Formats: sequence, structure tokens, C-alpha cells
Amino acid sequence: MSEGNDGIRPEPEEVPAVAEEAAAVQEHREEVLEQARAEALEVGGPDDYLLLARDLVAGYVPGVNILNGCTLTLTEGEVVAIIGPNGAGKSTLIKTIFGLIPVREGGLTLRGSSIAGLAAHSLVERGVGYVPQTRNVFPSLTIEENLQMGAFLRPKSFSERFEVVAGLFPLLADRRRAKAGSLSGGQRQMVAMGRALMMDPSVLLLDEPTAGLSPIYQEEVFQRVKEVNAAGVSVIMVEQNARRCLQICDRGYVLDQGRNAYTGSGRDLLNDPNVIELYLGTLAKG
Amino acid sequence: MIFAGLGGAVMVGAFLEGRFNRTTLIILQWSSVIGGIALATLMGLFGLDPGWQVPLWVAAGIAVVMGGVLGSTMERYLWRPLRRRNVALIQMFIVSIGLALVLRHVLLVLFGANRQRYAGFQVQELVHIGPISMPPRDLVIMAVAVVVLVLVACMLQFTRIGKAMRAVSDNRDLAESSGIDVDRVTLYVWFLGGGLASLGGVLFGLNQVVDYEMGFRLLLLMFAAVILGGLGTAYGAMVGGVAVGLVAMLSTLWFPAQLMQAWALALMILMLLIRPQGLLGRRERVG
Repeated sequence: MSEGNDGIRPEPEEVPAVAEEAAAVQEHREEVLEQARAEALEVGGPDDYLLLARDLVAGYVPGVNILNGCTLTLTEGEVVAIIGPNGAGKSTLIKTIFGLIPVREGGLTLRGSSIAGLAAHSLVERGVGYVPQTRNVFPSLTIEENLQMGAFLRPKSFSERFEVVAGLFPLLADRRRAKAGSLSGGQRQMVAMGRALMMDPSVLLLDEPTAGLSPIYQEEVFQRVKEVNAAGVSVIMVEQNARRCLQICDRGYVLDQGRNAYTGSGRDLLNDPNVIELYLGTLAKG
Repeated sequence: MIFAGLGGAVMVGAFLEGRFNRTTLIILQWSSVIGGIALATLMGLFGLDPGWQVPLWVAAGIAVVMGGVLGSTMERYLWRPLRRRNVALIQMFIVSIGLALVLRHVLLVLFGANRQRYAGFQVQELVHIGPISMPPRDLVIMAVAVVVLVLVACMLQFTRIGKAMRAVSDNRDLAESSGIDVDRVTLYVWFLGGGLASLGGVLFGLNQVVDYEMGFRLLLLMFAAVILGGLGTAYGAMVGGVAVGLVAMLSTLWFPAQLMQAWALALMILMLLIRPQGLLGRRERVG
């Protein structure tokens, strides 16, 4: 039980009660995780989902796994949220799905065929778009050039896709000659999402699209995600702003220590006392 | 009044550095620059050997292709594997210094330390344009430099592969995530860079004597030019090249010629104090 005591400050000598409580919380988390893993594995086969990540194990450094058996499903037309405490493996999960981190164990399928081990650019070709959390635009390129890079594999479809994307994000057409590096964080997020949509993906992976944005822009991003989804793109998004995100998503996954902790519809998770206590609210018990 | 010619040559050389910067492997490239110039030297020497006489433009063409091949070979079999192993920039820099040293000395062994000149184009009637007098070969050098600069700039600005080069330079990971084959783009950049470096070497050899260290003498000035213009910016390298060339050459009007390079480097230091990102460098907006 030595692993993953993140979020808990052990001060055993000074306040034994806190340590005891922390140990209890940790034990509870472990129980939850064991149960959740068993439940999560009772999913259907690869053909039942648009995207299925089954019991994924992955990590950056050899010998250290960040994901320790994570299962996630995505059905056509869904918005799925991934939330959880810092270091839970949220971004790692999304990067592993996109092929930026090699899959060590487990299965990864898109429309029933395996995509484990494929490089990012072949995933782009198969209709998966990815927006990284930071450094998600080409700063010295103009907005239009950023979008051209998004359509790099299909230059002929550029003008057609540009119309569609500009319909979703009018800013991109208005300021198409502006350098992306001169934009604010919120505007860059629009450019980044626009770039990822240029290949007409069926799955869009968003890594913390609202991180570091002002509340107004956060709200705008959530609205845009809903619009993008309404246009027929299934979305998997990692979010720090868990409450707001769970309100707009169809289903949510709560990760903890690289494993599934809770899964359910956005509303259910928002109202689940266990989720609130462990991951949405503070760790302090009443 | 050779300065205009040398300015042109420095400009080409410096511009080449700019090309390489597009790969974001900011400093590695100079071994290729040296290599390219060395190869040009080699071709120039072929031109000297009576049994091997070829017209200069043919030799230049061969040298450009060989420089390109050298550049892309190094990328494929040296820099790419090093990048895969996450070798840091400073280590790669040291490797490139070693490689440049080896290349130079291989040429030293093969061709000796003698200074040589191209067989043709040595004695020419000066052309007078206003207060400036220069041999026609310098005019040709400048014309070629300008044409190449414009061509490369257009390539970077308007073509699909040029935009991809700028994208890879800006943000390698994002380029990968956009579906760009980053390794292939990098290989093209190295081929282009090697080829342009060779062209710079051929033109430099036309104006100066040819020996195994000719590239090395120019190297510091190139660094000054690239830093002056702004590391990682292609157009900055052009502007910096012209500025450094002019400052170095014009300083000889008032100061000893031996201090020529010192003035260029002083200009670079001044620039770093006033505007650390260089003339055209960008300071990234955060947030």
C-alpha cells in the first residue's frame, strides 16, 4: 500500500489522528479501485464501441507504470469526461490512446480494429484528432497556416473543411492572417481545436482544454465542445474543472492512481457522495 | 572593394544556418556547413587538376548535391538516432564540433594544407558602378545569393513542404500530432541545408582562396549573424547576415582589417544586451 498517497499529507508524529484518517481513506480508495477495475472489465467486445481502451497499462519511464489497468469506452456521439486528482493518469490515458505513449499491456481498438502501437500520424489518418494541453498551436504560423497543418494529409479538402471549422469558430475566419502566437490563451484553444477538426475526425481527444483560462473562456470552451459534439464528433476530454465538465458530458470516468475509480453518467457522478468526498470536494471528513 | 562580394557570401552562409534552424536543432548544423564548404573545396580542387577540368557550374552542381547528400546522411544515421535517445542539445553540439574537426582534417590529409584557387575567373576587369568597383564574379555571387534567398523564402512561405518545415520548427510534437511525418520533413531540411551550404562554399571559394579551413574562418561570423538576426528565424538569419557582413567590411575603412571580425562579434554582444531574442526573434506570449 505504499504507492499513491497523493493528496494526503502524512504527519504521523504530530497528529496521529490525521495519519489514521489518511490510512483509512487510502484503504477505502484501494477497495474502490479493486471493485471498479472488476466492474470496468465487464464491458462488451471491441465491435460494440467506437473506441475501446481495455485494461491499459502504460508509462513514460521503463519499469514505472502510470496507467495500471484503465478501461474506457466511447460510443458514437458521446462526450466522455476523464476526471481525477493530480497524477491520476488522466493525460497519460489520453496520450496513450493517441499513440504518443506506447501501450505496455491491454487492448486499444477503434471501430473494432486494433490501434495499439500505431504512430500518431496514422491515427490522424483514421479519424482521431488530438489537442494537447500546452503548446497546442504553431505560434509563428498564421491561423490559416495552423489549420492547413491540421489538414496536412488531405490538402485538397482544406477549403471545404475550413468553411465547416470557421462555422464553429468564427474567430478563425475573422483573423485568419493573424499569427497564432499573438492570440490569447482562449483564442489559441479555438485555433487548436479547429486544427484538430480539419481532418474531419470521428473522435476528438481534448487534454484539459480549459486549463489556465478565465471563467468566461472556460465556459466558451465547454459550449464549443457541445457544438462540436452536436456536429457529429465524439469527444473524450480530460478536465480539471470537474463539476462543470460533468454537467455537459454524457458519461464520466474518475481515475485514481492510474485505474478506474468510478464510472457513470455525468449527473450520477456529480451526485455520488463518494465521488464528491474523494475527488470533487476536499478530503476532509465532516 | 571586395566587401560586397564577401558580404554576399557571408549572407549565403548565414542564411544556410537559418535553414537548419528550421529543424530546431539550432546549433548542430554547422558541421554540415563546414562539410558542405569542404566538399565545395574538393570540387574546386578537382577543377584545378588538369585531368579533371570541369566547368565551375557543373562542379557547383555536383557539390550542391553532394552537400545535400552529406547533410541528409548525417541526419539519418547520426542526428536522428541521437534524438531518439533523447540526447540533449549541448551534447549534440559537442558531437557536431568533433565531426566538423574530423571532416576538416580528412580534407587536410587528402588535399594538403596548400591554399589554392579556382582555375578560372581569377583575373577580371573591374566593373565600376558609381563609387564601387568590383570584378564581375562578385556581381554574379551577389545575384546568385539574392536569387537563392528569394527562392528559399518563397518555398518556406508558400509551399506545402515549406509550411510543414516551419510548423516542425515551431512545435515538433504538435506537427507529429497533426499528421506530418516529422522525420521526413527534417530529412528534407538537412538535404536543403547541406546543398545550400555547399553552394555558399562554392561562391566563397570563387571570391577567396580555397583551403581546408575556409569554412572555419567564416563560422564565427555566421554564428554572429544568426544570433543577431534571431535564433530559429529564417528571415532573421538573412538580415543578420547582411548586417554582420556590412559591419565587418565597412569597419576596415576606419579600423585595422585584423579587427574586422571583432566588430561583427561586438555587434552581436550589443544585440544580446539590448534585444536577447535577436532582431527578428520572437518572445513567446505566455498564457
